[in-house]
Amino acid sequence: MPDSVLRGRGLTKRFGGLTAVSDVDIDVVRGEILGLIGPNGAGKSTLFRLISGVMKPSAGTIELLGKPMTGKSPNAICVAGIAFTHQIVRPLRELSVRENVSVGAAFGRSPRASHAEVHRIVDDVLRFIGLADRADAEARSLTLSGQKRLEIARALATDPAVLLLDEVLAGLNPTETDRTLELIREVRDRGVTIVMVEHNLRAVRSLCSRIVVLVEGHKIVEGAPDAVLSDQRVVDAYLGSAAHA
Amino acid sequence: MKLLSDRRALGAIALLVVALLAPLGLGGWEYGLDVLFLIFLYGAMASSWNLLGGFAGQVSFGHAAFLGIGAYTTAILSARGVPLPFAVVASALLAGVFSLLIGVPAFRLRGPYFSIATIGIGEATRLIALNWTGLTGGASGLTLAEAPTIHVQYYAALALCVVAVLFSVWTKWSRFGLALAAVRQDPDAAETLGVHTTLAKINALFASACLIGAAGSLYAVHYLFVSPDSVFGFSTSIAFVIMPIIGGIGTIAGPIVGAAVYTFIREQFAATLANADLLAFGLLLIAIVVFEPRGIAGIAKRAQRAISKRTEKAAPDAG
Repeated sequence: MPDSVLRGRGLTKRFGGLTAVSDVDIDVVRGEILGLIGPNGAGKSTLFRLISGVMKPSAGTIELLGKPMTGKSPNAICVAGIAFTHQIVRPLRELSVRENVSVGAAFGRSPRASHAEVHRIVDDVLRFIGLADRADAEARSLTLSGQKRLEIARALATDPAVLLLDEVLAGLNPTETDRTLELIREVRDRGVTIVMVEHNLRAVRSLCSRIVVLVEGHKIVEGAPDAVLSDQRVVDAYLGSAAHA
Repeated sequence: MKLLSDRRALGAIALLVVALLAPLGLGGWEYGLDVLFLIFLYGAMASSWNLLGGFAGQVSFGHAAFLGIGAYTTAILSARGVPLPFAVVASALLAGVFSLLIGVPAFRLRGPYFSIATIGIGEATRLIALNWTGLTGGASGLTLAEAPTIHVQYYAALALCVVAVLFSVWTKWSRFGLALAAVRQDPDAAETLGVHTTLAKINALFASACLIGAAGSLYAVHYLFVSPDSVFGFSTSIAFVIMPIIGGIGTIAGPIVGAAVYTFIREQFAATLANADLLAFGLLLIAIVVFEPRGIAGIAKRAQRAISKRTEKAAPDAG
């Protein structure tokens, strides 16, 4: 695939007898928002964990911008340029919002050594994400939506080439959802390539330029949103139950 | 905030001036100087332990290993005529190297599992010191021939304590300290933000071990005697943990305050009721865990908040 930023080949993850991700090839094109959908237990989050280095694949390879990433530690992969947000938020609870984001800015892909520079990046990210007025609050005092935005802010501060968003919309009310969708678009416009796991199909349809569907660990279809979402195999596997409900 | 930190810095400088002049004021009262020496020595130890246990949240119950290695290194070197300054540096470095050897495997473990492993490390070094008779003299320990004057010892301990505190202050506000705080809060999240958590923990352990190795050196020349039970004992490892907890774990001043309280209590009971100090520490720990887990520093913070609240309330009346 031309201009592929992130490339996975034959990615497989086995837990004992269960194969959570099975021989998945994935290509992410520079500047796109790629949607990763599938029913619960399809292996979407596991695939994210393989890409971000939190789990080692049982088989397969991952490349970022042509460089091998397979088997590297999460911090090395973050430094190489892949950032991700946790599905269940993981704020550094007793640190301030500013300190949380500072960690990403001080380490990450473009580590900054000077206080002034870290400060500048953090101010910029906090303003962009809409948390500037909460900068000095403890991270644990934020609402869920605030903590989800903090996840994105921290990841952005690492200056990623690719950002993996794991269900950032889950648990948000409609207003917050719309605001977050807008935010994701703006992140893309800043030049960050995005892969998002999402259950909200309306959001996926409106945001993503391409969609990959996982079912029971296998990639069954990929392509443009309208084509994929009307594909009979996808309807059967994923939308079927929802359509009848 | 700026004013507050300035006021704190001024307080610390005032204390330092008092500490520098104390030997003059105490004159020939050796016991007083002795107690102050111990406070600074233990303060340096507690502050160094706090780098790893407080800032990085990696609670070690085996830090006696580093004190012991420092003390034995100095005892062995001074028997071979090596001058004290060289012995101190060698003690610090040897403890540091040892910390790297154990840190790499031990940090594969997390939280309580790491803490349990450190108990094993502490005990293992004690048993080695006990049984490697050719080098360590076994259970009968080693005696040192001569000590520098108590004044030299005093200023050496004060200097070490100042170094440990300054290093803590630097750490707290540096990129390194940010990494340690992230590790303490959530090592997995820290990793995904680009922090090399193992490296950060090993650096903290190394700094902590070097400073404590130097403290071991001063310990040896002060008591002129080292034995496996005195420096490598489990109660020594526990003292490392107790002092920062009493004073306020993860703070700058806490470990020093804790060391002062610890030394005071131990000196009170040492002459009258042997081992009653252990009972006192046990009760104190229970009280702290139940009422104020952040120790004396936490109490001070509460008091400060109460006072500023009262002045805020008073302000409108005045206006």
